[in-house]
Amino acid sequence: MILARPVLVWLVGIALLTGCAGSASIFAPRPEPLRLHEVAGEGDAARRASQRLVLQGLASDAEGQTRLARRSYERALQVDANNPFAYLALARQAVESDDGPSALEYLEQAELLLGAEDLRSPRVEPHLAGLRGAALRARGDERGASELLARASELAPSVWDDGQLSAEELR
Amino acid sequence: MPRNARRGRGLLRVLALTIAGVGFFGGFLAAGYFLSLDRSVRARFEGRRFEVPSRVFSTPSILYPGLDWQLVDLRGTLKRLGFREAGQAGRLEPGEYAWGESRARIHLQAFEHPTRSEPARDVVLRLDGSLIQEIRELPSGRELGAVLLEPEPIGAFYGSSREQRELVKLEQLPPHLLDAILAVEDQRFEEHRGIDLRRIAGALLANLRAGAVRQGGSTVTQQLVKNFFLTPERTLRRKFQEAAMALVVEARYDKHEILEAYLNEIYLGQRGPTAIHGVGEAAHVFFGKSARELGVAESALLAAVIQSPNGLSPYREPERAVRRRNLVLEMMEQQGRLDAEVRAKAQAEPLRLAAVTPDPGDARYFLDLLRRQLSDIYDESVLETDGLRIYSTLDRRAQRLAAIALREGLADLEKRYPRLHSEQPARALQGCLVALRPQTGELLALVGGRDYATSQFDRCTQARRQTGSAFKPFAYAAALEPFQGMPAITLANLLDDSPLEISTPSGPWRPENYDKRSHGMVTVRQAIENSFNIATARLARDVGSRRIADLARRTGIQSPLPIVPSLALGVASVAPIEIARAYATFASGGIRPELQSIEDLIDADGHTLDRRKLRFERVMDAGTAYLVTSLLEGVAERGTASALRATGLRGPIAAKTGTTDREQDLWLVGYTPELVVVVWIGFDEPRSLKIPSSVGALPIWRRFVQDMTGGQIRGRFPKPANVDAIEIDPVTRAVALSGCPERQSEYFLAGTAPTSVCGDGSFVPRLPGGGVAERPPDREDDSSGEFFRWLRRHL
Repeated sequence: MILARPVLVWLVGIALLTGCAGSASIFAPRPEPLRLHEVAGEGDAARRASQRLVLQGLASDAEGQTRLARRSYERALQVDANNPFAYLALARQAVESDDGPSALEYLEQAELLLGAEDLRSPRVEPHLAGLRGAALRARGDERGASELLARASELAPSVWDDGQLSAEELR
Repeated sequence: MPRNARRGRGLLRVLALTIAGVGFFGGFLAAGYFLSLDRSVRARFEGRRFEVPSRVFSTPSILYPGLDWQLVDLRGTLKRLGFREAGQAGRLEPGEYAWGESRARIHLQAFEHPTRSEPARDVVLRLDGSLIQEIRELPSGRELGAVLLEPEPIGAFYGSSREQRELVKLEQLPPHLLDAILAVEDQRFEEHRGIDLRRIAGALLANLRAGAVRQGGSTVTQQLVKNFFLTPERTLRRKFQEAAMALVVEARYDKHEILEAYLNEIYLGQRGPTAIHGVGEAAHVFFGKSARELGVAESALLAAVIQSPNGLSPYREPERAVRRRNLVLEMMEQQGRLDAEVRAKAQAEPLRLAAVTPDPGDARYFLDLLRRQLSDIYDESVLETDGLRIYSTLDRRAQRLAAIALREGLADLEKRYPRLHSEQPARALQGCLVALRPQTGELLALVGGRDYATSQFDRCTQARRQTGSAFKPFAYAAALEPFQGMPAITLANLLDDSPLEISTPSGPWRPENYDKRSHGMVTVRQAIENSFNIATARLARDVGSRRIADLARRTGIQSPLPIVPSLALGVASVAPIEIARAYATFASGGIRPELQSIEDLIDADGHTLDRRKLRFERVMDAGTAYLVTSLLEGVAERGTASALRATGLRGPIAAKTGTTDREQDLWLVGYTPELVVVVWIGFDEPRSLKIPSSVGALPIWRRFVQDMTGGQIRGRFPKPANVDAIEIDPVTRAVALSGCPERQSEYFLAGTAPTSVCGDGSFVPRLPGGGVAERPPDREDDSSGEFFRWLRRHL
């Protein structure tokens, strides 16, 4: 029993260290925020086609052709109405055009579908937080906005430092 | 001066004065006549020249790798769009396709739209059985992720004249089209001033020789005047008027304007009850392409048809039409408008016509709905004459399948139950089917009755019928939804289905089950899967009708809802489209979509007048919506709608049957992750069908969804993060740990799962009673000790 206690302490120490190493906060590098071309090949045929249309839309958005882009997102939903990334792209576009309420509606859908498909990974979180923050800001809710944008910036400084998500950054 | 000479001069003077007077007054009258003609001409030319009905289009089909081309009826779609099938070898023109065993080539036509134009392009589809494996653009070979076919025309809003035309501008038209028409209709068009005397003399001579009227001497200007201003009667007076007006038109307008007006006005045949006017429309009807894309032979055929649009119709009289076409080509060559080589090649071309588009009657209920919606914004006359292009959300394939499913489903019922059949159309068994996309609220199909020709009343949008048990999900949703922090019930609760009497102002109300029996204590799932009325009525009494009505309104029910105990059993009368939208809220995780029937609206000049905006609103907690979906999945698996699986339909389905008292209204309301479908059947003057909805409405729903999906429903219902799947003991309804002999998985909103474990005797299933929401046992009672109890039992 006398020997057992130090061994137990040693084991607990090892376990704690292993646990910390397993969590992302201390040792693991911060995950890069998701770009949608990375998931373009995932899912069934309809999802892949839908993703291609979302990417087309983002390319149009990046060129300033917002109506064409919007049409692509809507076509993406026609092919796969449950594609969360189409709603994410629509939310981004709504934020860009200062339409906070619409952006929040699209985000609701995106979050629901991401959760349902186990796609709500740490790589998507900065976008969800940042877009929600930007949508709240567009709606005039500065307090809620600042908190969420700060969180997005903390999670993905390379993208969210300027408080914006460009079409190219999401693509 | 001799007297006779003086008298002679006097007579001459009188004669001269008379002539001058007659001349003056004649000139005055003629000037007045020409001025009045001028006024008429200007009024027509400078106002709106043509009545162009607004056209309605479906949503475009999208092709992509992995798509089942047979399931989506790609070849049928191409035919309906007017594509012509060509041989495998050789170059394809826009609007042509070639189909092989392992590859298909389609030369897509250009699609013009202010924001989403598509160029004409040649694509090749690599096929593997019924699947599209790959799509590449030719000649570049670039791989494409998705390709859009142009939207299909589904109808138009005609005025009283039922004229269909597509306006064209002269500069858009190929020169050979103008040459062909002028060669045969008015070869000296550029030279005359409205009347061609040489042509009149030539026609006169030819007619004298033939002893009958064989040739006309009218110029293009005269024909235009005749069509624009005059009646078709053949009198000398009308002929004189025609000539006079032609002179006025030529004096007032240049040749360019006159020819353009003629090309848009000229009558070129009939398609059903609709008159085809103008070369733009005729090019679409005959060749499935725009007039600017017409080849030489096609242009010559259009020119040939002008003489006798019905007698030379290429559909009815192909040989005569080709003979006349070849004559036109020869005249073009003789007049130096075409060289011999091109003429010979064009004459050798076979007649290649666009497939005849089937009558779009099946979409007429949808068109009526659009007209009603649009007439709130636009004057009726604008819709009939201003040539708007309305791009709708209607899915042509869904619409066709819906119409077939309803029509054949009703006919089948009448065959099985002859008492349902009536010889009088007004007393016939009726039905409706509406389908929409739950996430976006887009209306995909709407069939408001079994036959539009006999009844234009739309039972999906204009009728309000009692919903019966199809209303029950709103009662369960209200009970499962957290209210003041906690829901009235969880899916672990038992409900009491023993006889019940509720006093109401009109006396005691005793709900009964469909099987006239009571079933004692039942689970929530059993209650809804078997559509038990008594258990539901008791639950509704405890939850309160006002809360149920409030939830139903939030989801999109707009019809009046009486606050009475029988509300939960479907006593309210509601339009099927309202039910569709409300169920869409369950399907999309508590987010209510706005109904959408229009994508965008373009005016005749190509400007966007209106475009849809997807709109949603969260009106219910996602977890509650999911629990309702899960209950309705049970209805489709084990309950009153389990026959939905009878034909092998696979994949997630949530559904609810609805049969009203005396079986006057039969409903099947159901959804998949991508489609909400409502089927209602009954008589316009309510009378009993004496069959349940599982026999009446269900087969129609099943047929439609089976045909839409090919039997394999895609996707799954999204389970939100605030719902936990927990194993419970099916008997005690307590949490089942590893030692429990029986277990089943059940869903709970986070924090509402039972905290007792099976076998410890601490959990007694309770009922929601006394109008107070039952709360699961307090967590403090149990949760802290649960782990240790488990340890005690298992270690």
